[in-house]
Amino acid sequence: MVEVRLEGVGKRYGSVVAVDKVDLTVADKEYVTVLGPSGCGKTTLIRMIAGIIEPTDGKVFIDGKDMTGVPIEDRDIGYVFQNIALFPHLTVENNVSYGPRARDLPPEEQVRVSRRFLEMVKLLDKMGMLPGELCGGEQQKVSLARALSSGSKLLLLDEPLSALDSRVRVDLRYELRRLAKELGLTTIHVTHDQEEAQSVSDRIVLMRAGTVVETGTPEELYTHPKKIFTANFIGETNLLEGWVLEIKDGVSVIELRNGGKVKVNQSNHPVGDAVVISVRPEFVFLADEGMRAKVTAITYMGTYWRITANTEDEEEVAFDSVTYDENLLTIGREVYLAVNPKAAVLYPRPEDGVQEAIKLE
Amino acid sequence: MPDVKLVGLKKSYGDIKAADGLDLEVKDGEYLCVLGPTGAGKTTLLRMISGLLVPDEGQIFFDGQDFTRMEIEERKAALLSQTYALFPQLTVEENIMFGLDIRGADEKLKEQVLISMLDLVRLSGRSDAYPRELSGGMQQRTALARALASGADLLLLDEPLRALDARLRISLRIELRSLVKTLKMTAIHVTHDQDEALVMADRVAVIREGRILQIGTPKEVWDEPATPFVANFVGQSNFFTGEVLQSSPFTLIRTPEGTVLKGRPSELVTGTTAVLGVKIGNTDISKDRKGYLKAKVERIIFEGRNLHVDLMMDNGQRISSKVPSWRKGKIAPGDVVDVYWEESKGTVFPMPPNGLENELKVE
Repeated sequence: MVEVRLEGVGKRYGSVVAVDKVDLTVADKEYVTVLGPSGCGKTTLIRMIAGIIEPTDGKVFIDGKDMTGVPIEDRDIGYVFQNIALFPHLTVENNVSYGPRARDLPPEEQVRVSRRFLEMVKLLDKMGMLPGELCGGEQQKVSLARALSSGSKLLLLDEPLSALDSRVRVDLRYELRRLAKELGLTTIHVTHDQEEAQSVSDRIVLMRAGTVVETGTPEELYTHPKKIFTANFIGETNLLEGWVLEIKDGVSVIELRNGGKVKVNQSNHPVGDAVVISVRPEFVFLADEGMRAKVTAITYMGTYWRITANTEDEEEVAFDSVTYDENLLTIGREVYLAVNPKAAVLYPRPEDGVQEAIKLE
Repeated sequence: MPDVKLVGLKKSYGDIKAADGLDLEVKDGEYLCVLGPTGAGKTTLLRMISGLLVPDEGQIFFDGQDFTRMEIEERKAALLSQTYALFPQLTVEENIMFGLDIRGADEKLKEQVLISMLDLVRLSGRSDAYPRELSGGMQQRTALARALASGADLLLLDEPLRALDARLRISLRIELRSLVKTLKMTAIHVTHDQDEALVMADRVAVIREGRILQIGTPKEVWDEPATPFVANFVGQSNFFTGEVLQSSPFTLIRTPEGTVLKGRPSELVTGTTAVLGVKIGNTDISKDRKGYLKAKVERIIFEGRNLHVDLMMDNGQRISSKVPSWRKGKIAPGDVVDVYWEESKGTVFPMPPNGLENELKVE
């Protein structure tokens, strides 16, 4: 059993708040990612959990034990850094058996444990090589095997895939999750990459400017984000400003600033309120009425076409189409766009404007 | 605004062939992405075009004129390297305006360029900062703005978005492309990121081991991959091995288990061993419809617009599928489903000489 609990954990440097009092419980065997843009405090947070940085506020508990003052080597964690940190003069196998050696396991046990994890990351055939002879993805797999071979059930991953090519990253995401689940690890993984977070996590903690914006499953944060920042950060979305025109049977009619009218299956904002609609491109479609817009770009995305169009007040709307008929849709063409009322989410219009609410840094 | 033509470029470092007979034509005003894994020779290619590196063999033409050994300054090319060198003693604004300053642009134009560059790279509030006061991403963006503002005709971009956060990278793609188009520059942009290449490029050139494997529009490279590597590198693919039964009007292959699979027409010889590749996004699954194969759902990952589904076939091979998220609840781990694809989405290749596993290595 490994549960991690943060109680008001924060870090201040003088008057600068890097992390502002985070409360979080990561359950045994749960895979949690801490996601956010550069400078949001996510790295500071994971380093406080690891014991690399001492918090200035609050406490970190691992399995109910207060970790204040406990150094990293006594916290029983596996830690993988963004920048691959292998011993260059040791073979792959000796890098991985470092943990079992440090634990003073008998030699045959050291070999057994390190080979087990090398097999799990599919590098048994390269165990005699030096790290420099491997490519980046393989090196990071060795780092992972080394972190796991310490025998710890708590795995902390600090941007483990950031230094790798994107294609390699995609393959490793699925492997990371598979490995963590097979071994029953409690995992905390820091990343700035929202696609990565969606693919690996049970739960995502989204941070911005030192605070937690929102926590939820990948599905919750994608389909019903509570904040505009979340809607924009996780996946792509259209944010359209307007006013509630009328409400009938739980459906709000929104008059948009761009002149169009759309319906949303949500009625928690009274008539007359200024609102923002978030609707993802896959839920906007061509219709006979709705928002009038002019097509500005058509991009092939492999399994669908991404089309962008500008409304009369220069608001950009992106929508997706599985098929594309050159006779129906060309750049410059005027179209009407409608929104799937079930898939749109309403927010009160932010006081400082939408741009401020979604700003990344 | 030049067109660029590379003919048979070769460059070796000891045993390593960084360029192994590169042929490439870039049209005037085109945005070309050179896509490939680390070590494919992408940076070498750019450095030869920029003049920083002289090829061992081959020629480089700008507008039909041989520039192979021309001085760097003559080439009117701006290279934005991965290790961006900003002037430490100059502010962001001064760094960006450096190129324009030496070309003696008038004040009004300079002002306009500066505002649009600062806006593009999201540094409007930091124009008076010095490089050391900026984050790595901000420094990268300053270098990008400087390259764009330099007045060069040809822009050579070496992984220009790599140092940036994923979310910021996505929003900058379209903006960078449209700015290059507005400035009527020709751009050669190297990247390892297939999404970036698909979204930004007029044409994509896929490079591996110093050779161009395929060049075409994003749609051509996606739908008609030239090799199994391209099929797997540009979007992931599932691969099935079998014996060719016929090659036209569509190709049929029979797997060792006796299953017959369909793909686009090919020129493969009946009876030879072939590989059929299907993008995981084009690999569909269903409980109601008859497919080519059956597979058991191992796990389902919610990824926003799609579900990523990992499947296990009877022969122990793992395959994957991406289906729209609204299908959630209709399939569950443990279900046995039918696997199918439109025949136009299957591409058949001869079995690669070094084996399929080596062919598909992405690094």
